[in-house]
Amino acid sequence: MDETVSEFFRRTILKIPLTEMMTILKTWNFLSENQLQTVNFRQRKESLVQDLVLLCEENRASLNDAALLDIIYTQFHRHQKVWDVFQMSKGPGEDTDLFDMEQFKSSFKKILKRALKNVTVSFRDAEENAVWIRIAWGTQYRKPNQYKPAYVVYYSQTPYAFTSSSQLKSNLPLLGQALTIASKHHQIVKMDLRSRYLDSLKAIVFKQYNQIFETHNSTTPLQERSLGLDINMDSRIIHENKTEKERVQRVTQEIFGDYPQPRLEFAQYKLETKFKSDLNGGILAEREEPLRCLVKFSSPHLLEALKSLAPAGIADAPLSPLLTCIPNKGMNYFKIRDK
Amino acid sequence: MELANTLSQDGESRGGVLAHLERLETQVSRSRKKMEEPQSAQAEESALGTRIHELRRLRDKLRAEVKQHQASVKASTTNVEPDQTLEITEQESLKRKWENVKAILQAYRFTGISGKLTSRGVCVCISTAFEGNLLDSYFVDLVMRKPLQIHHHSIPVFIPLEEISAKYLQTNIQHFLFTLCEYLNAYSGRKYQADRLQSDFEAFLAGPLQRNSLCNLLSFTYKAEPEGQSFPFCARLLYKDLTTTLPTDVTVTYQGSIFF
Repeated sequence: MDETVSEFFRRTILKIPLTEMMTILKTWNFLSENQLQTVNFRQRKESLVQDLVLLCEENRASLNDAALLDIIYTQFHRHQKVWDVFQMSKGPGEDTDLFDMEQFKSSFKKILKRALKNVTVSFRDAEENAVWIRIAWGTQYRKPNQYKPAYVVYYSQTPYAFTSSSQLKSNLPLLGQALTIASKHHQIVKMDLRSRYLDSLKAIVFKQYNQIFETHNSTTPLQERSLGLDINMDSRIIHENKTEKERVQRVTQEIFGDYPQPRLEFAQYKLETKFKSDLNGGILAEREEPLRCLVKFSSPHLLEALKSLAPAGIADAPLSPLLTCIPNKGMNYFKIRDK
Repeated sequence: MELANTLSQDGESRGGVLAHLERLETQVSRSRKKMEEPQSAQAEESALGTRIHELRRLRDKLRAEVKQHQASVKASTTNVEPDQTLEITEQESLKRKWENVKAILQAYRFTGISGKLTSRGVCVCISTAFEGNLLDSYFVDLVMRKPLQIHHHSIPVFIPLEEISAKYLQTNIQHFLFTLCEYLNAYSGRKYQADRLQSDFEAFLAGPLQRNSLCNLLSFTYKAEPEGQSFPFCARLLYKDLTTTLPTDVTVTYQGSIFF
């Protein structure tokens, strides 16, 4: 086995936490059960990694096998990457999309290899007819850098692709081109949507975040939602502003619904607006150039935090549509300019 | 103020509250003196005794009346019962009718398209089926407004919902629902067939079944007999029409040469 491949294996296996080692190796399915049994998983990590690398050498593991292991590790730790969303579009009046996964994979790889001689492309099929693509970029004279790969997650016959923010931004147009052509689309556009939580991004663009529907077959009637006030708690407690509290709850429920919100970490608003003032005169009012400022809301779970603002009494209900439109519009980067 | 009025009525305008309290005190001492007299006590005792007798008499009289009334009620229960049971059966029949209607509404999903009125509009449920097998249900929540809008839905992203709504949602809602129904039933049917092929014919398949989200391209290698020396065939099924569950093109190859 090549030195570089061996080192790549060592560093990839070293990344895996000991608690997940067995699960990931089993998912990888490259080392047999018998081989895994010969390894002592209770020894120090460095020695364990050495043993595993030796086993890989025995099995004549290739760069592709190592890349596959890297994909599996990333799938388990998808939150460690920040994901962007791209939207593709077809021309009008296209024929039925007869998507062939093998054709897509070979087409994608061919386009990249034609443009860049030194590139490693690996695929792993995932659930719901999706594919995870790992791309290690090189240049014309340098071998691919296996330690800074880009990932693309693509669900077949959809116009959306999710990419991990690659450090090598210069290769982004090529990646976009390969995706578009291989999936038989015409155009690709980067959406103003970014998050660590791939599943939330998928829920937002596929519009899967609100899956509560009223039917005659449902056993729990929707009217029995607790208002969170627990009015029957104790007769000695009197709730002041009960009507206002109920109104706030109702408005919040109308906007945010009863379903769990998709998870985002921030919303960013870039303002480029002229200063507006009621008072005539003043230094800023005469300023011709627009003021530029950036407002960023951060939270471990932004949408749940926004949902709880009005009931907590911190903000008025209804909230500004700039905040509540985030999942609907599929954006968490906004540019606000004067009309 | 009342106190002042009573004072002026009696003509005694001495002081106010204190004077009144004084009067009450003298009243109490007077009554106490009276009670200390044994003769008046005896007289009072006998008076109370007669009062008790009277009350007992009254109680017995009322008891008798109650008993009489109960007896008369019992006697006429045969006349009263039909009304009561009529009430009960009316209640029961109403309850039965209501449950019947509820059951019919629930069973409507077997027709394929059903709906429930919501506060905003209507939530339409499209229930798919294939060859007598009930498959997944999909929902479209519509907002009754001009223009008609889809609030949220559970239609998979690869079904061309935007196209269909752009064409029919505003002009012909019936056509919109029927077209959507067509696409969804066809998709469900194709998916069902692909799943059955994968699970029930595992022994015949030589490799994994390759499919896509719409299940409109299937590619697999199979043997005519599960065991034995039969040669493997490569089959490729294309479903160009998304509203059908049967393929439009089938290619079966054997070692590179095409049969049909």
